[in-house]
Amino acid sequence: MFTESIKNELRRIVGEANASFSKEDLLCYSYDATNKVSMPDGVVFASTPEEISGIMKTANAAGFGVIPRGAGTGASGGSVPVEGGLVLSLERMKKIIEIDAENLLAVVEPGVVTWEFQQEVEARGLFYPPDPTSLKFSTIGGNIAECAGGPRAVKYGVTRDYVMGLEVVLPTGEIINTGVRTVKGVVGYDLTRLIVGSEGTLGIVTKATLKLLPLPETTKTMLAVFPDVKDAARAVSEIIKARIIPSTLELMDGVSIKCVEEFAKAGLPADAGGLLLIEVDGAVETTEKEAVIIEGICKDSRAISVQAASEKNEVKNLWKARRSASAALFRARPHKINEDVVVPRSAVVELIAGVEEIAERKNLLIACFGHAGDGNIHVNVMYDRSDPREAKAAPEAVEDVFRLALGLKGTISGEHGIGTAKAKYLGMELGPAAIDLMMRIKNVFDPRGVLNPGKIFLQADMSPASGARPAQGAPVRH
Amino acid sequence: MEELKHLKDEINKCVKCGTCRSICPTFRVIGRESASARGKITLIGARFNSELDITDAYLKHIKECTMCGACRDTCPNGVDTIGIINAARAQAVKEQGLPLAANLFLKNILDSSKLMPFALKCAARFQGVFFKDSGVDNGLLSRFSLPLVGQGRLIPPLAETFFLDMPEVKALASDTARTEKNRAARPLKAAFYAGCGVNYLMPNVGVKSIEAVRKAGGDVVVPDSQVCCGMPAYYMGDVETARNLALKNIEAFEGYDCDYIVTACATCTYGLKSVFKELLSGESIRSREMTARVNAFCSKVMDITVLLADVLKYRSEGGNKDAKRIVTYHDPCHLNRNLGVRDEPRELLKGNSSLVFKQMRFPCSCCGLGGGVSLTNYELSIEITKRKAESVRDSGAEVVATACPGCIVQIRDGLHRYGVDAEVKHVVELL
Ligand SMILES: Cc1cc2nc3c(=O)[nH]c(=O)nc-3n(C[C@H](O)[C@H](O)[C@H](O)COP(=O)(O)OP(=O)(O)OC[C@H]3O[C@@H](n4cnc5c(N)ncnc54)[C@H](O)[C@@H]3O)c2cc1C
Ligand code: SF4
Ligand code: SF4
Repeated sequence: MFTESIKNELRRIVGEANASFSKEDLLCYSYDATNKVSMPDGVVFASTPEEISGIMKTANAAGFGVIPRGAGTGASGGSVPVEGGLVLSLERMKKIIEIDAENLLAVVEPGVVTWEFQQEVEARGLFYPPDPTSLKFSTIGGNIAECAGGPRAVKYGVTRDYVMGLEVVLPTGEIINTGVRTVKGVVGYDLTRLIVGSEGTLGIVTKATLKLLPLPETTKTMLAVFPDVKDAARAVSEIIKARIIPSTLELMDGVSIKCVEEFAKAGLPADAGGLLLIEVDGAVETTEKEAVIIEGICKDSRAISVQAASEKNEVKNLWKARRSASAALFRARPHKINEDVVVPRSAVVELIAGVEEIAERKNLLIACFGHAGDGNIHVNVMYDRSDPREAKAAPEAVEDVFRLALGLKGTISGEHGIGTAKAKYLGMELGPAAIDLMMRIKNVFDPRGVLNPGKIFLQADMSPASGARPAQGAPVRH
Repeated sequence: MEELKHLKDEINKCVKCGTCRSICPTFRVIGRESASARGKITLIGARFNSELDITDAYLKHIKECTMCGACRDTCPNGVDTIGIINAARAQAVKEQGLPLAANLFLKNILDSSKLMPFALKCAARFQGVFFKDSGVDNGLLSRFSLPLVGQGRLIPPLAETFFLDMPEVKALASDTARTEKNRAARPLKAAFYAGCGVNYLMPNVGVKSIEAVRKAGGDVVVPDSQVCCGMPAYYMGDVETARNLALKNIEAFEGYDCDYIVTACATCTYGLKSVFKELLSGESIRSREMTARVNAFCSKVMDITVLLADVLKYRSEGGNKDAKRIVTYHDPCHLNRNLGVRDEPRELLKGNSSLVFKQMRFPCSCCGLGGGVSLTNYELSIEITKRKAESVRDSGAEVVATACPGCIVQIRDGLHRYGVDAEVKHVVELL
């Protein structure tokens, strides 16, 4: 709870209308897409780096937490005020400041919705590739903070690869600029890369300089249907082996297909075991040629059918279907734990087979879909919280999945981040010395621990009063 | 009780993915979570769990919704968002004692110094015509916002002679003789439902509708005891009024031996076809006889564009082929999302050789009128229309066609406000 004087100070900084302490607003800023709820003590809607600087200084002086929030679509609880405090909404900072076609770059505020930005640049024949499935409603700021990736990552990389420079308000209130507006730049440490993916714990992004590409001449969309999801996964490896890099190589297993089709009615074969949504882009001749090769590979991998989408609407429907996968799964079971492990591309088949084995052993429904082309599979452990057996088995299955991914030389999160959801698993992947270094970095940026407290690191390891303590050796702590 | 449980289940179905933020017109303008479906559902959930009182802020937020249905359409989890929001509005009306709708009325209109004597006169007149005993709400006022003057708003002028008062329309009220005489020659008979928009503001749309049906070989009757469809009351949470009006309308049409009940208003079509069923299926009034009557009525309801394009296979003779005009089409939410009518109006327009059809961007985005928003929050409402005005401008269209008097009023106001030079017409006026 804030005292009246803090409330007044916050009102003074952002203006009366842009600070709220009403129960209605607090409720609306108490969750993200993980559906975990924790009430903040206040919400502010900032509009300039100077305001945010003032807020951070107040937070340091008074000792309250500040939680940056874009659209609240995060998948690891990053913008949930787990310890209360002040939610700092960036929804008002949604200007596209410039699009520089000559130098292939754009400067935007963090609250810009990714898709809207893409519409603007594409209208000018330019291209901003990062396309998290949530692109129509998540923000550039959130994408940067989580280093979001999407289907196109297989060919174009992730958000990190397009951030040239940032304006950042540090947890202590200073405003800094990182990076460059040039193609090259090596002056000092690469703070840009450090901030990207830092989940709103090292600074608040208030402006981003983003790299653009020329818009590919054409995109061809195909749908390949397989009797078994493992056949689909095998086709993924074969396509990459054939030295073709599609711009999209998305996979869905049988459970996902069924749930999605129920919603999107895109004409997916509801009884198929697996499918691939494939896109190739570039010059017309190349895409035609590649499409033919891909079709052959899919057929060799036992595809039942391979079809090219001919109409714009068909493509739109296929993407709507793919984008709804995550949420549509709730049609199968009321709760889920959604993990986004990544394995080397050649190991996707083993990952899928391993997950099937875990599902069987734990007697749970586990649905897989995702960015197979870059080895990033969303593993959704479905369960019903009110069923004691399932409630116990689900988190165990998740740990098994992590072990499986790490065993295949993978990582436990490709794009969703750690947030609160995965904090306890950090030690499974990172050694104690690495965690310790990270906590010390956090401490340098944020000595009082006011920016997005309770995220990434377990609270037991990281308390603002005592400063960073080295992580214990045990791999998993509950 | 059953309804409440259903509602709670529906609320719990929302997994907070945020997809609905991408499409909500009120969220687009307001930019805060509380304006999105996800935020509203959160608030309504808290209200139903008694964590939240009916505060002014709560009421404000549940009113920030045009009921366009875009969120329900886009929700991958199939949450009945507008069902939830509407139930919350109805609940607020019930719990508050003073009806929400009436409350709005007092606050926004009767208590307003902006009233023009003209508007007052109109209001009085309407009450005499249509709202003899509904007492609370006035559909015309709430949907077409007549008395809210000022703020640079374009007010639709009242028709000199209301549609239902026109002698040639009155003459179509009697049915029996016609049935006997014409049954063989004119196998298809449509009973025309005018609705407030056509009746008071755009009689020409009614006249043109009748002309078109006749030209395509159909016969038309216009039952004279029809009343407001009640949708404005329904959307503002006043279910009782809506139910009374629904019953009256069903009675008004029951005496007629018609194949179709046809309207030229998207909202009325949706109300008559779908909402009536819901209104008259509640536990208190459910009876087999009633269900049969409602079903008989609802199954005959059809939008004029569907009747013309699909049933009557209307062929335009076209006007002046040398002076082609560019026309675009705005999809009314109630036709597009609720009834799936998208192609028929476009077909009719494309069939006219003096028009060149051009699709605008975001043809399905809400015009901003609905859900009581234009009455309770005009600023928000007209701000939503901005995007529509921009789409129209970018399309280069000279005429915007649509199939709903409500949308016509709103888009005209928006084009005027944002300085876009295009006419707005009902599809039937462009055949
Ligand atoms: C249906 C669905 C599909 C998804 N698909 C993908 C996918 O394909 N790929 C993917 O990578 N992710 C995906 N996500 C996860 C999520 O959408 C992304 O992480 C997205 O980048 C979050 O953006 P946001 O604006 O919602 O941020 P929020 O959820 O509001 O915040 C996320 C984190 O960023 C921080 N943050 C936000 N803005 C700033 C800022 N300006 N400065 C500093 N920190 C900030 C917050 O504190 C928080 O820690 C998906 C989510 C959903 C619901
Ligand atoms: S899209 Fe549906 S499930 Fe997702 S937040 Fe909106 S209402 Fe809830
Ligand atoms: S019905 Fe339309 S205005 Fe209302 S919440 Fe849904 S999208 Fe928004």
